[in-house]
Amino acid sequence: MNDDKTIVCRCEDIDIETIRKLIDQGVTSLEEIKRITRCGMGPCQGKTCGPVIAREIAMKTGQPMEEILSPRSRPPFGGVLFQEVLEGIDDEE
Amino acid sequence: MITCDLLVIGGGPAGISAAVAAGKAGLKVLLLEERERLGGQLTKQTHRFFGSVAERAGTRGIAIIKDLETVVAQLENVEISLSTTALGIYEDGVSTALKSGKMIKIKPKAIVVATGAFEKFLPFENNDLPGVYGAGAVQTLMNIYGVLPARRILMIGSGNIGLIVSYQLVQAGAEVVGVIEASPKIGGYLVHASKIRRLGIPIYPSCTIKKAFGQDRVVGAELVRLDEKWKEIPGSQFTVDCDAICLAVGLNPLIDLLGQSGCQFKYIPELGGQVPIRDESMRTNVPHLYIAGDLSSIEEATAALLEGELAGLSAAKQIRPGQSLEARMEEVKTHLRALRSGPVGEKIRSGLSKLTGEALPTPSPRTNAIDELSRTGIASPANLAGVLPDEKRKKTRAYAVIECYQQIPCDPCVHNCPFGAIKPFSDINDLPIVDFDLCTGCGQCIGRCPGLAIFTVDETRDGDRAKITLPYEFLPKPVREETVDLLDRSGKCVGQGVVKSVLNTPKQDKTTIVTVEIHRNLVQDVRQIRVVQKS
Repeated sequence: MNDDKTIVCRCEDIDIETIRKLIDQGVTSLEEIKRITRCGMGPCQGKTCGPVIAREIAMKTGQPMEEILSPRSRPPFGGVLFQEVLEGIDDEE
Repeated sequence: MITCDLLVIGGGPAGISAAVAAGKAGLKVLLLEERERLGGQLTKQTHRFFGSVAERAGTRGIAIIKDLETVVAQLENVEISLSTTALGIYEDGVSTALKSGKMIKIKPKAIVVATGAFEKFLPFENNDLPGVYGAGAVQTLMNIYGVLPARRILMIGSGNIGLIVSYQLVQAGAEVVGVIEASPKIGGYLVHASKIRRLGIPIYPSCTIKKAFGQDRVVGAELVRLDEKWKEIPGSQFTVDCDAICLAVGLNPLIDLLGQSGCQFKYIPELGGQVPIRDESMRTNVPHLYIAGDLSSIEEATAALLEGELAGLSAAKQIRPGQSLEARMEEVKTHLRALRSGPVGEKIRSGLSKLTGEALPTPSPRTNAIDELSRTGIASPANLAGVLPDEKRKKTRAYAVIECYQQIPCDPCVHNCPFGAIKPFSDINDLPIVDFDLCTGCGQCIGRCPGLAIFTVDETRDGDRAKITLPYEFLPKPVREETVDLLDRSGKCVGQGVVKSVLNTPKQDKTTIVTVEIHRNLVQDVRQIRVVQKS
């Protein structure tokens, strides 16, 4: 398999080779990988790549999936324009 | 700030069902749906549903959603807000949503989250080429917008979604070059597998995709066989030509909104991955927060409908105590248990026991052996022998052959025999047994079987001619006295026959019932016809 042509994160165009190299270097949490590569920071917010990267980490480190996947997320779900937030405030006044 | 008793997030089967149940119990309900119409995945499901007749089994998903829309529209205390995306669930009980370019705020007394699921992705070389689709996208293009996504499609995954979408692709006029499956056996219902096998679609168990070929778009794929330990067998690679690769490799619950709320999760692969912890009444650890549908565990729409109702009733019970809702709640729980009680529900049962910490109920009797049928989707002579009448009976009257060999929760056949010739089930997972003393071979059951697994055979006449009656869901429809190709269970053409009758009234609801005169020797081989294209 050509690892550099196997895409993990479609939103940010990150390939599996990048992820595997990071894990080999000891970067073994989703949070760290996200901060270094921007994986999971695109429109889908990690729904596509999250489980795939978690599996890679699990295979290389033996860590259980449960510990790797973090269900924490913060509002808002998806992108919102400041204008849309402001429009909502106007409504209340 | 909008106030209501119950906020339901997600207008698929689970969400609508929750809104209806809570609405009927007198709650003021606000139902949010991200898309421009209600229905979720049901809007794409053109096939007939399995399950119990009590839960509309035998009805197409697109018909179920029409009924649900009517029911929910009649409830004045249920407000439906379409094209509205829920954005957040905050600790102070306020939720936010995006509607018509404005972020609105909602303060409900309780929330049912029914956001469904998200398709899993698969890493393989060139998986970002145009032509790599998720099965959901293919279904949306085909069944909602009437757009054929490709001509020659490779399907990855033999679960129900992979099998059903393959069938629908053929209905839409595309060719499916094969269905591959990493596991040694077919994942979905075997009746669905048999349906596509007799169209000539190969299924490759123990096989996975290595890479897609192509520069600007998909032109083919390299596949590889897997051994019993799921490791690639060196040198077993083979290639297929295709212009699209359709991924149907499972779903993950869409938990993002719940993750904001303080809800606790557990990783349970049997239920689809990270799932919210909840009790049997669909209540999470967060007060006044309920869940339903694929978000709670990846299952069929019937389970989503029931879970939705349960969540709606639970919320109503909490907000408006004093109503007698418990009886119906217990009934719904009983239906859910029945739905999950058979061999195909074992995975869900095992997942749920991990969720609740309860001991597993007694496993249903089943064989672990991988038989020919579960590897190929083609019934063996031994399978068939078990469902045929004796030689004497074959000669006296026409008879039904029910090629339903796998215990799945489904019962429309029993309820649609006018002669009571299909023995009543004690359990919804029972296999149908025909009482050939009562069966007249009338064929009423053929179009009612969601698996299209029923055929009637008439070999009462002397000579070498006999008749077979079978369901047909393709265009163009055959016409009387037309000569058609006869296909066996693997899609191989085994001869030709002459169409003697075509039943295609609104009652058949597009499952045309076709009777063909064929050679007597072929009655147990022919299971599909092909209309010969006139040049």
